[in-house]
Amino acid sequence: MDFTIRAATLEDCKDISRMILELAEHEKVSDQVKITQKDLEQDGFSKNPFFHGIIAEVPEHLKSRDGHTKVGYSLYFYTYSSWKGRAVYMEDLYVMPEFRGKGIGKALMSKVSQLGLAAGCTQLNFTVLDWNKSSLDFYLKQGCWDVTSDLGYHCMRCEGDALENLAQGDL
Amino acid sequence: MALFNLRKAEPKDVPDILRLIKELAKYEEMEDQVILTEKDLLEDGFGDHPFYHCVVADVPTEHQKVEGYSVIGFAMYYFTYDPWIGKLLYLEDFYVMKEYRGFGIGSEILKTLSDTAVKNRCSSMHFIVAESNKASIDFYKRRGASDLSLQEGWRLFRIDKENLLKMSAEE
Repeated sequence: MDFTIRAATLEDCKDISRMILELAEHEKVSDQVKITQKDLEQDGFSKNPFFHGIIAEVPEHLKSRDGHTKVGYSLYFYTYSSWKGRAVYMEDLYVMPEFRGKGIGKALMSKVSQLGLAAGCTQLNFTVLDWNKSSLDFYLKQGCWDVTSDLGYHCMRCEGDALENLAQGDL
Repeated sequence: MALFNLRKAEPKDVPDILRLIKELAKYEEMEDQVILTEKDLLEDGFGDHPFYHCVVADVPTEHQKVEGYSVIGFAMYYFTYDPWIGKLLYLEDFYVMKEYRGFGIGSEILKTLSDTAVKNRCSSMHFIVAESNKASIDFYKRRGASDLSLQEGWRLFRIDKENLLKMSAEE
């Protein structure tokens, strides 16, 4: 399939927002998406962006049933390992269902790897849900390893009231 | 202990930060994994676009329990992004020297970080903990943290440099 992978621009936020919702709808949790197109524009394309994006685009004659040419994306940002230094975190990787199986996901991930290496990163990290068998298989085939399984690292979160209480100093 | 000071890390703190990173890694039985140098820490934390931020706890000379060390605790963090809820604060490392535990320094550091998270309009603070580290898990759960790996099935995956290079070379 003919497609291109390129850096996301401000104008892509409309489609990124659409695809974020598509992914959430697929997981039946679209009411959890609080971020709007405007938030994405502000948070990703200001002087100090909180994330970077790449887009997979197909030519007009291959557009989706709904008429979209932007058919996949990845959101990533730079993090830091106190053991190894610079790292890149792939937050989202998504390809519209009708465009899967054509190497687009792999190409998006390859681009994130290239950009990460160019920035001096020595590792790429991301999280996957344990029930997502097809994604788990895809990633293991790319040479990834499961840190949660192998090292017993659990992802933890402190939010809402717990975060506020912590900030106030209440135990 | 009444007299300790929490402050933003400065370039001169880099040797102490690396010392404490190695102490924490030793506590996690991963000392040989730390390849980061003082030069990396200086470049990556105190340039125009820092990859991380650090707060340090120091004690005045008259309160030193371990001779020669005034910086006795630290936390390393950075900002990440969730496309559903926006900015997050990610806690990479958090450590207080053994001789200084039990005085509320750790709680105070966590309070400062939570405050930073709230002030920067982060909806959540994330971090990872090894499941074998029961003391830390209890410390965090007492403060309202939830274990996403257990509750939602998130597994942390990683690709190391060798496979990153392979992946970035693929067409």
